[in-house]
Amino acid sequence: MGTKVKRGILYAALILLAVCCLLPFILMMINATRSGSEIVSSFSLLPGKALSDNWATISSYFDLFRGMRNSLLVAIPATLFTAYFSAMTAYAMAVYKFKGSKILFGVIVVFMMIPGQLSLIGFYDLITELNMVDSYLPLILPAIAVPGTVFFLKQYCESVLSPVLLEAARIDGAGEIRIFHKIVLPLLSPGIATMSIGAFIGNWNSYLIPLILLNSPEKFTLPVMIASLNSSTDITRNQGAIYLAVAISVIPILIAFAFCSKYIIGSITAGGVKE
Amino acid sequence: MKMKKIMSLLLAGAMVFSLTACGGSGGNAGTDTASEAVSEESEDVAVAGNKEAKDKLVVWTLSNDLAQFAEKYCEANSDVQIQTVVIAPADYTTKVQAAMRGHQTEPDIIVGEPQMLEPMYEAGYFEDLNKAPYNAQDYAKDVVDYAWQIGQDSDGIQRTIPYQITPAGVFYRRDLAKKVFKTDDPEEIGKLFADYDTILKTGQTLKDAGYKIFASEGEMNYWAGDSAWVIDNKLNVDKDREAYMDLCVKLYQNDMTAYVDTWSSTWYNAMAGEIPVIDASTNVWDDEAMKEAEKNGKTTQVFAYGLPSWGVLTMRDNVGDLSGKWGVCAGPSYGFGGGTYIGISALSERKDLAWDFLSFCTLNEDTLNWWIEASEGDVVSYLPVLEQHKDDENEVYGGEKLYAFFLEQAEKIDTSRITKYDEALKKAWGEAITAIKTGEKSKEEAISNFYDVVESTYPELTVER
Amino acid sequence: MGKELSATRKKRDINKVAYLFIAPFVLTFVVFSIYPVVRTLYLSFTDYKGFGEAQIVGLSNYIRVFKDKFFWRALGNTVRMWSVNIVLQLGLAFLLTIIFSDIKYKMRGLSIFRALFYLPNLIAATSVAFLFKTLLDWKYGTINQMLVGSGLLKAPINWLGSTLTAPYIVAVIGAWMWFGNSFIMLMAGVQGIPKDYFEAAAIDGAGRWKVFFQITLPLLRPIMLYVAITSLIGGLQMFDIPFLMCGGTIGNPSGSTQTVVMYLYKFGFEINQVGFASAIAYALFMIILVISMIQFKAFNKKEA
Repeated sequence: MGTKVKRGILYAALILLAVCCLLPFILMMINATRSGSEIVSSFSLLPGKALSDNWATISSYFDLFRGMRNSLLVAIPATLFTAYFSAMTAYAMAVYKFKGSKILFGVIVVFMMIPGQLSLIGFYDLITELNMVDSYLPLILPAIAVPGTVFFLKQYCESVLSPVLLEAARIDGAGEIRIFHKIVLPLLSPGIATMSIGAFIGNWNSYLIPLILLNSPEKFTLPVMIASLNSSTDITRNQGAIYLAVAISVIPILIAFAFCSKYIIGSITAGGVKE
Repeated sequence: MKMKKIMSLLLAGAMVFSLTACGGSGGNAGTDTASEAVSEESEDVAVAGNKEAKDKLVVWTLSNDLAQFAEKYCEANSDVQIQTVVIAPADYTTKVQAAMRGHQTEPDIIVGEPQMLEPMYEAGYFEDLNKAPYNAQDYAKDVVDYAWQIGQDSDGIQRTIPYQITPAGVFYRRDLAKKVFKTDDPEEIGKLFADYDTILKTGQTLKDAGYKIFASEGEMNYWAGDSAWVIDNKLNVDKDREAYMDLCVKLYQNDMTAYVDTWSSTWYNAMAGEIPVIDASTNVWDDEAMKEAEKNGKTTQVFAYGLPSWGVLTMRDNVGDLSGKWGVCAGPSYGFGGGTYIGISALSERKDLAWDFLSFCTLNEDTLNWWIEASEGDVVSYLPVLEQHKDDENEVYGGEKLYAFFLEQAEKIDTSRITKYDEALKKAWGEAITAIKTGEKSKEEAISNFYDVVESTYPELTVER
Repeated sequence: MGKELSATRKKRDINKVAYLFIAPFVLTFVVFSIYPVVRTLYLSFTDYKGFGEAQIVGLSNYIRVFKDKFFWRALGNTVRMWSVNIVLQLGLAFLLTIIFSDIKYKMRGLSIFRALFYLPNLIAATSVAFLFKTLLDWKYGTINQMLVGSGLLKAPINWLGSTLTAPYIVAVIGAWMWFGNSFIMLMAGVQGIPKDYFEAAAIDGAGRWKVFFQITLPLLRPIMLYVAITSLIGGLQMFDIPFLMCGGTIGNPSGSTQTVVMYLYKFGFEINQVGFASAIAYALFMIILVISMIQFKAFNKKEA
């Protein structure tokens, strides 16, 4: 059993797994081109002809492009905030000794354990008291403090940063802030890019909070629009339209993912271990 | 190689969609449902009237209906603009809660379906409509009784007023009725649904002829029993409830339903004709084989649906070629479901204008006459208008006089049995029925579990087993 | 002498920079995270019903939670679904990490595979739930159509309607959604390990298993801890998929897929006993806390 044979088997297994991941996706895209009754009565891997009908149905309900634009307006700044400030905080916790660093870490981890659904109520009360209802601020500002990302990046720092490197930079006369921006951030970039994907997706798909906090329809983000699509009984019968809406909402994420992926790979080959 | 192909397929797919996405702007409403008749620009659906108008109203509602009312209102009142926000029913109460707890002065108008209303009354979200200048009680005699009562809180104060009534009826296939029962007259068919035992017999007759009486046993939901769930803080499960449970179980286990979930795509499709039944010998890959196998249970047709009056519109949109072949008759008792009730937010700063709009939508003869046309068949709650349309015939239903029928049903609905615990208790009872019908639990176990659930959910109720 | 003094002073000063670095985070965190959570804690000691006055009722909510057999049932369901999910998800992710970081086989196509494995995580939970609910429909779903039509099954299986299969379906779907994510995390960890370590090992002539167990694995430990804890927390808080696929908060069939958070949601948003719901949230939190601390200790022991 040579290496080549084993490799072949591994590849086959990987491809099978990949197909499992891809199949529902493809099904979704295909169903987006078929009409509701077609979908129920038969199964097909070939696209149908109902694409323009489905499109007309959806756009008669709301303007998907505005929804996408709004979602981007929220998701991009939020992701950038999360990436930058989490890295900063994580770096500080991993590298410096300061009073309260252990407490801070404990608090972060502990807070991750609280079920999101219930701090919702307190969150709403807070936002209404701060009079930030119906604006994008409460959707973007909290992204500065994401415990999960800080936790991951702190662990990542511990894996990746060697104290020797930092000392060398200091001896060369670099200030701490400079060290952070010029040396640490690039080193952390695979980790940051990884978390950014998750952050972007989380923000993009976030539904409950925007739903409650946004009152003006023209500010609605995409998931809020799609969710109302799901519950509108007139459209339930037209599954094709729903699949189409879902498919469209996924496209920006695919783009963001492709972008972040390239970035991960790029910085790896520069610093590099494996492909 | 293969990987590259997959990736390029994916990319191609993404590109195709982005292309079509760029191409298709301004998709007009042509395709769909006139009942939710949507106006041209989806952005402007939200605001009716002159955007520069100095008087403004904000309306939060559950469906597109009020957006249409808003437009009509603004036609007559050019110095008013109305912003309508449509919120899915599942999220509606949460959103209103958040707004009210945050002391928001908008929305001005809040709505609710009957089961959502009581907690909102208790929370004080709605303005008291009995006092001046509204004087709601002046209009009491003009609105159908049961609906008027739902608009009142537990102290009898009017908080909301509806624009529609929603009594339940059995929607049946006239052509199948003629085939199996030799008649399609609503009175006669109504007799076949007169009580649970008769329903079972009807189901059997239909099954023998190769049809299913219902798409799912949940159709009987609106006639689930006439008693109150809670009396004097004590849980009340009377014989009727058990009879309903038995009915559902029997329908299910004796193969009399098509096993579809209500509101699923297949449920809708059954309104237009045949739906497939999958079993071992059906070759699903072969379209022709599917078409050939008709009466052997390979495809089947559904005889009846249980729906409230707004079902008239739902079915109209889905019956396709079967239009004209449906009819409506009475069920075993008098039930109702849903309906939108409009009220004024207690925190609103524009209550007078809000009342003007509210009364326009619910107590104005011209408006409601217009609504009957615009919605193509919704059943309003305003008696004078109902009287006028008593003799209207509806073609989709073989020329039946639906307004007369629904008015009759509505007059006999008894609202005294409604409690705020109803929703949760109905759900738990439904859970018990599901467990029994699928064989997961025996009847004793399921009911015992039901009592457990009630105790755990509402510790303030006394539960006697 | 002078140099030493200034060196120590620099060290003290350097550490002070940390405060600057963490300031934005701490500020935002206190306002947007700590306050709501504290408020919920307060509510858990009251009988708040979503509106009106909140009367303090002391510990009675908590007592009710711990006495409630449905809370424990929900917990049992959650743990059961979570464990199947975890084993599948982490097992797969770990396996994939080994495959792709192996020196001998030098598997190619990492970026493509990684992208494909991550796809399930891109779709919002609502869409995933909708998609699978339709696919798995008993009489009309595509999967049954395929299985029965190709002769693998005699009769369609009621995937979501049987207590035997439903919880496992939920678990599998969860694993499907998240294994790509775990894989990416672990891979990012592997790729961050400085090349020097591997070069040194190559010079020493170490075989690939030795490299894996003595270099890769230990350096991966911090990331593994992260993945373990987040999977634990995420898993025990499972809500979206069972909620959307199994009939809302009931957790059909027969409550077998009802997780603790679904139970909490029912009381918090449907029955409006917000005080009680808050107590459920904190009860769950305490349980998660205990298990996490055990995990932490386990990982840190290895290091010592």
